[in-house]
Amino acid sequence: MARSLANTVLKGIIGSHHRAATCRTLCQQGTIAYYSVSSDAGTHDDFKSTSKLADSDISLKDVVEKDVKENPVMIYMKGIPEAPACGFSSLAVRVLKAHGVPIASRNILEDQELKSGVKAFSHWPTFPQIFINGEFIGGSDIILNMHQSGELTEKTQGRHNLPHCPKG
Amino acid sequence: MGVSKEDVEGILTSAMKPTHLQVVDTSGGCGASFEIEIVSEQFEGKKLLERHRMVNAALAEQMKEIHALSIKKAVTPSKWNPIPKVQEE
Repeated sequence: MARSLANTVLKGIIGSHHRAATCRTLCQQGTIAYYSVSSDAGTHDDFKSTSKLADSDISLKDVVEKDVKENPVMIYMKGIPEAPACGFSSLAVRVLKAHGVPIASRNILEDQELKSGVKAFSHWPTFPQIFINGEFIGGSDIILNMHQSGELTEKTQGRHNLPHCPKG
Repeated sequence: MGVSKEDVEGILTSAMKPTHLQVVDTSGGCGASFEIEIVSEQFEGKKLLERHRMVNAALAEQMKEIHALSIKKAVTPSKWNPIPKVQEE
């Protein structure tokens, strides 16, 4: 499992949302994608870092905890924000985009272990799964409900005052 | 084959004692995905996420086979406001 996990975190699709993605950053961030930038799909094998995590004790739980801690809005979804692979994931992304906040995502279709790990972490059986400010919010039904009730605006503009994406 | 609409209805009726329950098989009869509307006093005092978790928990076994579950409504009787059958213009 460690090797598979290492492979997961080593596939680096990183947008320029943060300052220059270093090799170490790629190792840490893995297949996390940021909606706010255009994605250059895929990193050539030559540029992928060698396995530094094969012997580490990083568990999927650690990966998820890190994801939700470091990203104010984190969605585990089918597909990617630019190309959702299911209607529920698509809906969740559209709702979040309407609030103009940067979205970090992982495509659970890419990794069965990640998929199982996230389900176990949140005790939630389906995808998409949305976390805001480290708190598990729920799936697309809940995020839509909160959007309609105004609760989502409170979450995204409330105590943490999330940075907003430039339009376009 | 998957879970049937009747299975889902039976389980939720037994677990949640709903005053209103509507289950729609959105997979064209394959039992792969369902839409649910459920009204129950058991939701009293529970936040939205918790209400959804209660429905998920009731269907935990079935979730192994169901691919998608859409909970359109999960509210207490006092919050239930059904859309009238005759649409008003």
